[in-house]
Amino acid sequence: MIIYNPENIIKERIPEANDLLSQIKAKYCFITGSFLYKEKYKDIDIFIITRSKKKIKTSNKKAKITIIDFNDLHSLFYHSISKSCISKDILPKKPLKITISDYWNVINEAVPVLLNQKNKYHKDIRFLILYTEYFKTGNILDAFQLNKKIKEFKNYKEILKYIKKQVPEIIKEKMKKSYTKKFFYTQAGFYKDLIGYNAQRFLYNLTHLITQNG
Amino acid sequence: MVNPEEFKEKIKEIVSQQYNIEFLGSNFDQIVNFLTETKAEKIYQWISKVIERETQPIFIGSKKQYKEWALNQLLVFRHPFSIGKTEYRILFVKVKDSIYIEFHLGDHKYYDKVRKDLNLKKTSY
Repeated sequence: MIIYNPENIIKERIPEANDLLSQIKAKYCFITGSFLYKEKYKDIDIFIITRSKKKIKTSNKKAKITIIDFNDLHSLFYHSISKSCISKDILPKKPLKITISDYWNVINEAVPVLLNQKNKYHKDIRFLILYTEYFKTGNILDAFQLNKKIKEFKNYKEILKYIKKQVPEIIKEKMKKSYTKKFFYTQAGFYKDLIGYNAQRFLYNLTHLITQNG
Repeated sequence: MVNPEEFKEKIKEIVSQQYNIEFLGSNFDQIVNFLTETKAEKIYQWISKVIERETQPIFIGSKKQYKEWALNQLLVFRHPFSIGKTEYRILFVKVKDSIYIEFHLGDHKYYDKVRKDLNLKKTSY
């Protein structure tokens, strides 16, 4: 058993995590999430990296198993969930591959979801915050840190403000000026036809803030 | 318990268009069978809100092809709900300023597959 970044992990959960992982017939499996750092938890998030298509089960009713493909080890998601976890073996690592275009896809999807969900956003903004904080600080948040960051927002309006403030600054710093203009003028053109929807109006205005800022 | 055929008919009735919506999803009928009348009613209400333009769509700014349409011609409406501990998603696909073409219903795995097809997701995560 390997414990990665144990600082926030509740010590009493370690033996139970070890028991659970030993039941799983896969070399690369690990537990992360609220089970490790919250007194009260709903699920036990178990991740298994495998090529096998066989359904893997455990006897624990709270266990929620997610299969990760080896091709996804480059993702920010994998880097985040494996940062602080209890693992059966040393986890495979691959360099992070992430682009600003991926980030824009996340924003493009998060804004309508946020406006639909209003204050029931906690599950749906994880990627938005994870990507934004990565591009802002270079730091990959683990499950505990991500949860803590999400709790700092009082309501969905604060998240919209956060997007408006952070995204133009990040794009200005990370993207070439010529490419920024080309990419966001194209996006603005798409959104313009849809400004009858609040989400696309917000995104349209955001593209303008980005191009003005760049 | 909701009858899948009645469920589809009710949705067609709300949408009220000539074009035949495709109902897609792994275990579509089984999931509909698990719905209570109350949950089905919530889905019908959500569809009405989509039609009234009260629900925000996800738009994909890409010229890539999806079946006979370019992705930037489509709007995707997403509705998450749970039955017991299992989470399901509906993705309702519309051609911009035009017809509704697909109604997807499935679990997380199916949802991820459709998101990949629609270019909303590049990797599994």
